[in-house]
Amino acid sequence: MAITSRSASSAVADATTVPTIGRLQRPFELVSIALTVWCILFGAPGARAATPADVFVVAQSLDDLVSLDPAEGFELSSVQAFSSLYQRLVQPDRDEPSQLQPVLAEGWESGARTLTFELRRGAQFSSGNPLRPEDVIFSLSRAVKLNRAPAFILNGLGWTAANVDASLIKLDDRRVQIRWSSDLGTPVVLDILTAPVASILDERAVLSHELRADAGNGWLRGHSAGSGPFQIRRYIPREALVLDANIRSPGDVPLLKTLIIKNVPDAATRRLLVEVGDADMARDLGPDQIEALNGKTGVKLLQFPSATIHYLLLNTANHQNPALANPALWEACRWLIDYDGIANKLLRGQFQVHQSFLAAGFPGGLNETPYHLDVARARAILERAGLGHGVRIRLSVFNQPPYGDIAQSLQATFAEGGITLDILPAEASEVYSRVRSRSEDAAWLYWVPDYFDADSTASAFASNAEDGTNSLAWRAGWRITELSAETRAAALEQNPQARAALYRAIETSVQRSSPFVIALQARPGIVVRSSVNGYFQGLNADMAYYDRVTK
Amino acid sequence: VTRHLGLLRTALFGFAGLAATLGSLVFVTFALSSLSPIDPALQLLGDHASNASYSQVRHELGLDLSWPQQFARYVIEVAKGDLGISRSTGQPVREDLERLFPATFELATLAMIVATVSGIALAGLSVRHPNGLLDTCVRVISIVGNSIPLFWLGLIALFVFYARLRWTGGAGRLNDAFEYTIDMKTGLVLIDAWRSQEPGAFQDALAHLILPTLILASYALGNVTRLTRAALLGEAGKEYVTLARAKGASETRILWRHLAPNARGITLTVLALTYANLLEGAVLIETVFARPGLGRYLTTALFAADTPAILGATLLIGTCFVAVNGLTDVAVKLWDPRTW
Repeated sequence: MAITSRSASSAVADATTVPTIGRLQRPFELVSIALTVWCILFGAPGARAATPADVFVVAQSLDDLVSLDPAEGFELSSVQAFSSLYQRLVQPDRDEPSQLQPVLAEGWESGARTLTFELRRGAQFSSGNPLRPEDVIFSLSRAVKLNRAPAFILNGLGWTAANVDASLIKLDDRRVQIRWSSDLGTPVVLDILTAPVASILDERAVLSHELRADAGNGWLRGHSAGSGPFQIRRYIPREALVLDANIRSPGDVPLLKTLIIKNVPDAATRRLLVEVGDADMARDLGPDQIEALNGKTGVKLLQFPSATIHYLLLNTANHQNPALANPALWEACRWLIDYDGIANKLLRGQFQVHQSFLAAGFPGGLNETPYHLDVARARAILERAGLGHGVRIRLSVFNQPPYGDIAQSLQATFAEGGITLDILPAEASEVYSRVRSRSEDAAWLYWVPDYFDADSTASAFASNAEDGTNSLAWRAGWRITELSAETRAAALEQNPQARAALYRAIETSVQRSSPFVIALQARPGIVVRSSVNGYFQGLNADMAYYDRVTK
Repeated sequence: VTRHLGLLRTALFGFAGLAATLGSLVFVTFALSSLSPIDPALQLLGDHASNASYSQVRHELGLDLSWPQQFARYVIEVAKGDLGISRSTGQPVREDLERLFPATFELATLAMIVATVSGIALAGLSVRHPNGLLDTCVRVISIVGNSIPLFWLGLIALFVFYARLRWTGGAGRLNDAFEYTIDMKTGLVLIDAWRSQEPGAFQDALAHLILPTLILASYALGNVTRLTRAALLGEAGKEYVTLARAKGASETRILWRHLAPNARGITLTVLALTYANLLEGAVLIETVFARPGLGRYLTTALFAADTPAILGATLLIGTCFVAVNGLTDVAVKLWDPRTW
């Protein structure tokens, strides 16, 4: 419509003859009125140069946020908020995440595929309702029965809507027992219970807002009923999430009174807000914004490694392109990525080179990086395998930064090695759809663990039950009976050192020869005002801790 | 009586036009949404979800139904007044629109007022000496207003007037000290800030509105000035103007009493078209200034294949378009002496 009206106006203007009329007598009255209005407007006071003392303002994009119900929300923004709003029975220690801390539980006892938790004495929710075994049973069974995005994490315990009630038992007023049927050792089960989907809700508060048998889902999308350090005062979709300190939280009371997470969709605007002081923190800044703020007074850069890894998936199930199933091609691809150039020059420090599926910092993580860009070696490998005549691969990538840049770098170096990459940018869900249906040649993807345990990632990369269930190995068409058995055995192992050793062996195997070329680990930069202290972010997406922040 | 009958007929045609336009809009938008390669269930769930969750969500969204069934279901729900739940905000579309439309309406209306006043003033000034210095400046201003990308202009304006000079407010609608304490009863931030009686709230709302209003107005100004100027110049060469001048009428009188009434049909039409465009929401301005609004709501919904939100917003925008056009037709007829 805008185009139509513009064309119309220009057409009329062009067709107009230009007769003359004489001098107006009071033309400048209009101008002076306009100028006066202008001056009044510009005379209006600008925004204050700092946020209120007891309020912490975060500028980030909240456009991804669909739901603040922990049984449903699975986006970065909601998962980051859950650690402020809810607590689990056990959670990773923030300083030493491989160690579990009892949070809403005081302790636990393990039996044969059972765990008995003793609930924390005196714990209560933000509503003032005390924590009861019924709340634990309600929260876990509700997440399974609701069956939203994160439900698969609890399904991993063998829980289904039909059997979950029988798997959660109230022993007395302070003890609750959980049972599972899957082949998982106690350490993995405890780690699964640290996932945000296992957050404990205030059953009475939630059910008082139930509508049309939705188990309070509609209400929880924009409200909270937890025991975390904060509670939702107000959630305005696509605008802001306003949290108040929860003085009843069983943990430490937050040092801040109010936390405002503002949706500022444009990264350049986020940068200006934190630079001026109208935001105390700006997230999701690109390399350009971070460089522009570098060395500016009043702000400082924080960098926390994240467990997000970026990798190339080659679909060996695509029989139209048989080269994809050739291990020589997998190996050549490993020597055709400019790891250092992408991490340090292209993405300017927002990523680090990492070549195994467990992120650096994870128990069992393998930090060796044996591969670098070596075109001659890749060419030789392809020649030996009879692929020297050239290979053509369609590469699906997300149509957002920085994926286009990464794909172009891959395209250039792969071309030198004799592999032609046809880049197919698409919306994220379209790329996922192609990968899930195994219709693509290759895709550049990222992986975020669902809970802080090696099994979350290992069961995706190194386990293929050949039934199509949620495994990256299945999506790559990678048949690995032995490796899958090793992955299952590692999940059953109780001894932490022995488990870590098993995972290192599996990682080495995947690193050396698999249709996955793992290349980068994210290390996002967060810019805060210089006076801000106490913010900490762990490896996993849910480990964003605001409760000790001061400014 | 004839005139009233004419108006009645216009109103009836208006309603029929509204119904036909909205019906077609829903049909076409629904059809286009179904052609989108985006899988709404995957968009909602991400790629880790199990196949069982995927199937359940597809069923709940009605994606397992045939296209005509999905369409019929939607139309029946809309007829009942239910626009559905947005898949990307998780909230009822109706609530989303009720919250966002006042913000868009406020920004668009203020921008339109600024563009109308300054556009007509500039057009009036420029007809003094067509092709003279002032006229050239006005034409340059209007072309610049139409051709500079709003996104870029917004960022530069924020950088200069907010970050460097600190003359204006930055992103958002209010300072955080007020934003979440003021009761947004009307959704119009100026009115709500005024009613709150919080010291400084109104000025703060104004400070946050200046830049987006002026930038949006600069875009609208281009249309208004060029067309008003062209309409005035088109009339200026006619005999009745020469006659008026021969009778000794002042140039101000000639402009406002003789030229303006004859040019107002075109001016009114261009104002209405521009205003209707602004009511669609200005996605780039809303993005740069982090302001809520229909434009960004619709754009985000499009990227998420959020059909209920897309359809709801399209219906609202369509209604605005038809209403503004209808009112303009009536206004032009009422104002045109030949129809009296």
